[in-house]
Amino acid sequence: MFKLLLSWRYLKTRFIALASIISVTLGVATLIVVNSVMSGFSHEMTNKLHGILSDVELVASGMGEIDRVEEKVEQIQSLLGDDLHGVTTVVRVPAMLNFLVHGQPRYHQIMLIGIDDQTFGNVTDFRPYLTNHFHRNGDVFRLMESGYDAELPEAGWSYRREKFRHEAYVREELERILQNQTNNLPVPIHQTPLPETTKVDKSENRDPIVNLAKLPPLPSQKPVLPTLSSDVPAGAGRELLSDDPQSFRSGAQDAWNPAPVDALAAHRAKVVLAPFDPITEQRVGIIIGIGIGRLRAHDPTTGKSQDMFFIRPGDDIELTLPSAGSQPRPLLENCTVVDFYSSKMHDYDGAFAFMPLSHLQRIRGMIDPATGGATVSAIQVKLKPNANLNAARDRLRAAFPMTHFPIMVQTWRDQQAPLLSAVEMEITILNILLFMIIAVAGFGILATFFMIVVEKTKDIGILKSLGAPSSGVMSIFLGYGLSLGIVGAGAGTMIGVLFVIYINEIASIISTLSGREVFDPSIYFFSTIPTLLNPWMVISVAGGAMLIAVLSSVLPALRAARLAPVDALRYE
Amino acid sequence: MKSRKNQTHNSKDLQQRRVNDPVVIPHSPFRSPKSTNPGAALLSCHQVFKSYQAGNQPIPVLSGVSLQVRQSEFTTIVGQSGSGKSTLLHLLGTLDQPDEGEIWLNQQRIDNMPSRQRDRIRNQEIGLIFQFYHLLPELNVLENTLVPYMIRHGVWSYLLRRRTLIDEAKELLEQVGLSHRLTHRPNQLSGGERQRTAIARALVTKPKLLLADEPTGNLDARSGNEVLELLRRLGELQSLTVIMVTHDDRIAQQSDQVIRLRDGKVVSVSAEAA
Repeated sequence: MFKLLLSWRYLKTRFIALASIISVTLGVATLIVVNSVMSGFSHEMTNKLHGILSDVELVASGMGEIDRVEEKVEQIQSLLGDDLHGVTTVVRVPAMLNFLVHGQPRYHQIMLIGIDDQTFGNVTDFRPYLTNHFHRNGDVFRLMESGYDAELPEAGWSYRREKFRHEAYVREELERILQNQTNNLPVPIHQTPLPETTKVDKSENRDPIVNLAKLPPLPSQKPVLPTLSSDVPAGAGRELLSDDPQSFRSGAQDAWNPAPVDALAAHRAKVVLAPFDPITEQRVGIIIGIGIGRLRAHDPTTGKSQDMFFIRPGDDIELTLPSAGSQPRPLLENCTVVDFYSSKMHDYDGAFAFMPLSHLQRIRGMIDPATGGATVSAIQVKLKPNANLNAARDRLRAAFPMTHFPIMVQTWRDQQAPLLSAVEMEITILNILLFMIIAVAGFGILATFFMIVVEKTKDIGILKSLGAPSSGVMSIFLGYGLSLGIVGAGAGTMIGVLFVIYINEIASIISTLSGREVFDPSIYFFSTIPTLLNPWMVISVAGGAMLIAVLSSVLPALRAARLAPVDALRYE
Repeated sequence: MKSRKNQTHNSKDLQQRRVNDPVVIPHSPFRSPKSTNPGAALLSCHQVFKSYQAGNQPIPVLSGVSLQVRQSEFTTIVGQSGSGKSTLLHLLGTLDQPDEGEIWLNQQRIDNMPSRQRDRIRNQEIGLIFQFYHLLPELNVLENTLVPYMIRHGVWSYLLRRRTLIDEAKELLEQVGLSHRLTHRPNQLSGGERQRTAIARALVTKPKLLLADEPTGNLDARSGNEVLELLRRLGELQSLTVIMVTHDDRIAQQSDQVIRLRDGKVVSVSAEAA
């Protein structure tokens, strides 16, 4: 009984005990917070990777093609049976995407992915990452009138109409001025304002006599967002799109772009032959990664970042891609950007572009004219939630051996193994380091306890003179250590868990106080700090801290127990 | 105070005669007629040797001490500083073990018992009082008094008997005149009050033997007087055997037996009143 009472009284009256408790508390809280955030990050990241990559992929090795696709899909379906959730086929091809910014061309190396929008969404997380909410459950390759993410600059049909109307207007006005200059006539300034309507009225737009000053403001005239076309004079810069093959030719020969390969020019001429009205029509839809047309500037003083979009839904871009077959030729394709793909995975957002599978197969010549069968570059397989990933992979590997088929069968973990193992190792090392913090707290307890034992030498003598056995004296100090551990670990767990739950609020408070962004969502994959509280982790951290507290009180407790009562009492 | 009122009548002349003396014992308090076997030795030791190691040199403290203490007797051990009085008391109280010799308590040899048993004997059969009180500073008066019981009982058995034990302790504290001080900490008490708490603690388990190591050595005359009177009165009630180390001859003169130590040896045993 005396053990309990004295442990409790020592705990209550020793200020030094508080220091030990605080060190345990801080160690435990830190460990819990860091662990939760780390595992939250890695959990979110692997989830995202998993979602994007599907479960198992059959990839044609070395950029090759998989033929007789229907046959193989049927084989996969019968092989996996009930484990199968969905199958989709994709074509992946590296391509170059280009567009004009201030009359200057920008090129981006991208991974062009042809997807079957009926099945692709079943197999991978694709639709949730689109910025237009209509696209999340509709035809993804259509430019929409509205529904684009409010945080993005204006996009969609209204933007496209304004843009091309303006472009057409500028072109005609310049032509008129040039005409007048060649005829040595004064340039009349017209009083008629440009109508405010967004309805397409060709007769009015084509009216050459328009007041420049009364031009309606462009939707894209926000300071950070330069428009693609506002200072592109007709003929001077290359027309990004044109109904007229002539303008292409003239653009292709100007200063920044020397004469192109003849074959390319001929192809361009061929591609754009069809009469096309950009104000009412869209070209084939393409969904580009949001990182492709975006410039991100970091303000070093505030720590925030600002985005500039050089390209957005409604704009047209040009793709250069290789054709299929043994001798690839460059192909040109004009597309209309219909949406952004924003998975917040930097590598994917900066590289992926999606277009309809059948269209890509057609332009690359992947359809066998004789049979009508098309080839693909990968078959992606999604399994049922509880299916065994590696077993499925092994079954598929057995069915499509590398010796007979130029196909690699990989799970998403195989594909991302370096990244996943790096993250895992990071977490392990961090845990070791942080556990050392608790070990330091343990040594603090050890030192504190030795001091307390010295201080309590007389009391130990008294207790022994009253008949307390050595084991009882020892258990006072062990109990003391345990209660320090329990109080410290308990408080630490509470603080840690609360910190994890309110981490975003805390981050924003710290941002306000320090004036610097603690967590800039634009940098990371996530809009808020992801956390994952694993109850077993919390229990083992708290238990480990208690164990360390008890272990570090063993030595001082032994010393106290061994103290001869006479020696203890002689001390005055 | 209660203890003063209880002074026996025939001590009056003694008191008057020694009015200026610091410590007065009116009469030998521990010669109780209630004693069942007054002649039997409750405690005895034979040829006890004890030395301490100082560096490589053993320093002999006790060299062949033998003594006998009968039940309900009041024995004083006197001697100069360093004569080994306290060491002898510690040996008798099983706080330490002799190098040689035997110590018997109640027909049991206690010097070579396993430490667990010695702990038990110390807890149940021996009460100890020290010059410097040795109370636990974190506990209040009542808790300090209850510590021997807390040591004896485990958590549950203590909690089960809590009521009766607390009542016992309170009663004893009332007898020592501290019933108004129950929740005070030792550092809020005077020296006399502390020593009275220590007496209550020593006697709460109703031991047979009380060992006191200069209990008045740190007190002024009046408090010392009170403490001695208390010992006498409570000793009478419990038919206690007392061994007190002191260097005060006047206290020694009041005892049943005086053992004089010099350089670790018994130089004289005077059985004054026996």
